[in-house]
Amino acid sequence: MFFLTYLRRELRHRIRQATVIAVGLAVGIGLVVVVTAASNGVKNAQGTVLHALYGIGTDVTVTKTPGKPSSTAHGAGAFSPGKNAQAVDQLAGGNLGLIDESFVARVARLHGVAAATGGLTGQTDTRLTVPSVSELGPGGQPPSSALNPVTFSVDGIDTAHASLSPYASGTISSGRGFRSSDARSRVAVVDSGYAAAHKLKAGSTVTVAGTSFKVIGITSQAQGGGPADVYIPLAADQVIGLGPYGSSLNGQVNTIYVAAASSADIPAVQEEIAALLPSATVSTSSSLASAVTGSLASAASLADDLGRWLAVAVLIAAVAVASLLTIAAVGRRVREFGTLKALGWRSRRIVGQVLGESLVMGIAGAALGVGLGLGGAAVVSAIAPVVSATVGENPGGAAPQNVTFNGGGRTSSTPAGYYHTVDVHLTAPVTLTVIVLAVVLAVAGGLVAGSLGSWRAARLHPATALSRVE
Amino acid sequence: MYKLTGVTKTYSKRGGTVFAMRDVDLSIADGEWLAIQGRTGSGKTTLLQLLGAMHRPNRGVVSLGGQNLARMPEARLASVRAATIGFVFQTFNLIPTLSAQENVEAALVPRQLADARRQARALAALDSVGLADRAHHLPTELSGGQQQRVGIARALVKDPKVLLADEPTGNLDTDTRDEIMSLLQTLWRERGLTVVLVTHDSAVARRAQRIATMKDGYLSVALTPEDRG
Repeated sequence: MFFLTYLRRELRHRIRQATVIAVGLAVGIGLVVVVTAASNGVKNAQGTVLHALYGIGTDVTVTKTPGKPSSTAHGAGAFSPGKNAQAVDQLAGGNLGLIDESFVARVARLHGVAAATGGLTGQTDTRLTVPSVSELGPGGQPPSSALNPVTFSVDGIDTAHASLSPYASGTISSGRGFRSSDARSRVAVVDSGYAAAHKLKAGSTVTVAGTSFKVIGITSQAQGGGPADVYIPLAADQVIGLGPYGSSLNGQVNTIYVAAASSADIPAVQEEIAALLPSATVSTSSSLASAVTGSLASAASLADDLGRWLAVAVLIAAVAVASLLTIAAVGRRVREFGTLKALGWRSRRIVGQVLGESLVMGIAGAALGVGLGLGGAAVVSAIAPVVSATVGENPGGAAPQNVTFNGGGRTSSTPAGYYHTVDVHLTAPVTLTVIVLAVVLAVAGGLVAGSLGSWRAARLHPATALSRVE
Repeated sequence: MYKLTGVTKTYSKRGGTVFAMRDVDLSIADGEWLAIQGRTGSGKTTLLQLLGAMHRPNRGVVSLGGQNLARMPEARLASVRAATIGFVFQTFNLIPTLSAQENVEAALVPRQLADARRQARALAALDSVGLADRAHHLPTELSGGQQQRVGIARALVKDPKVLLADEPTGNLDTDTRDEIMSLLQTLWRERGLTVVLVTHDSAVARRAQRIATMKDGYLSVALTPEDRG
């Protein structure tokens, strides 16, 4: 076929220029692949963190900021020294506001909701010894031995819908997980880290708020999770635990996990829940992503802002250079095209010839660019920088504040454990979509360059072209 | 074959208007050999380009076989050039990246022939100018005379009715010039071509049946001394 013969001969004749154009496009494409892959890696890392914290399959979470304490509330953790020292074991979760459990069923009935479940998360079991009055120091200060409470975190799980909670992100490494029939049982699943530290295994007993639970399984949480140390059935948790400011947990949850029927339903579901529970914080996976802080968020911002614009700028520069070189090449071939027109070639055939040459350079650039991109992404994955992510228990809502008054005045601070900081290994996965995007961009770049060049060739009048002195 | 009536062609140059041809009337019969002479800038190349359907006049009629080239759209002009007219250029205008055979094949591309047929016709055309053994040589591997022979083969491979040659021997030495002119004369006789040839060289012009002279855009036509004698 003459078209291919001519194309091959021209590209071979201008191999240096063709290489410059292809390499220029390849650098742009390679950068797009690496940046897009890194961006995907950041999104995956965010997804890992959020799934670990809020459960795989959860599309929407509903939480509340704790209200103001009532005048009669005495609060969890407020212990009054007595005549004798007292051993205390108390389960309390003061960082999230409580939601009446009846709302779980009402949310589950909303249009577009596939499933909903309630849970009690972010609770801390505290064991300490309250000193006797006689042990208090000057000014009523407790002895230092009383300031070392033993704590561990506890989540209350609706065993009938355990697949819709952070607990579901883990894998049972020994024993078994919760079953629906465990709802009223005194059984627990323990995180593998906590189990190893406390020599617990399936069949052991763990004590929560003074109540013994039989360990039925050990769970390992996915990377990036902020796992609870101990998971117990929600019903048991509601009996033995305390809410904010010492309130009862009877019939209460502090988080509702919602799965939408489809991803398209998520915004509508979010609006419906917000209307049902106006004082609640309704978070979707996208809004949760924006609540992630730390170096993971910085990496996401870097990938989205600087990286993407850098890639776009390099790509534009590459296409501009390719266009200029193609136009210059057409300029040097004016007499050639004039001769072809004198031989009876139509403009569109000459345009097709120039476009064909540019297309080949674009495809070469795409192949080289994908190779560069894969290499770059592999380097990013090999270096595997560790980024940290920090997420509050109630993303989107204001963090609760512990307020204390002392001689220096009023001091407020976010309660310990409210924020989870986890480390995630950043990778740069190159998807088929990214490769297709790269090929399309390179070919489009080549065609843009070819179009500009061939537009000039098409406009040439044969007599004018032939009279051009080279 | 050709009939030009009241043809005027102007160019805009540095804000002014240059008359390349002024009210030119000319008839060229089928199978005729016409030479066009004139000084540089006299309008002879413009006349050749109008005959070759590469330009349109500002005024007048350029009729080829009864069709007015002055009114034809560019696509149809391209078809006329592809089917009816063969060009031979002073600087050969071979495509440097293509072999001699491929350069000749380029003239058949608009005909959309099958590869084998196109290649066979190109090889036959090269054979007719004595260059079959150089078919796979690049232009840079050929002498000036050989390149012009390739140019002639390219012009004639499509069996045109008209051969237009713009200073075809302008870049050749005297011996090669005579070889090329003898070849053109042979092909003209064998094929019954209509030849219009622009030249500065009176020795070349004398081979034509008629000589037209362009001066300041005006055309005058005379019979050759041989024809008159």
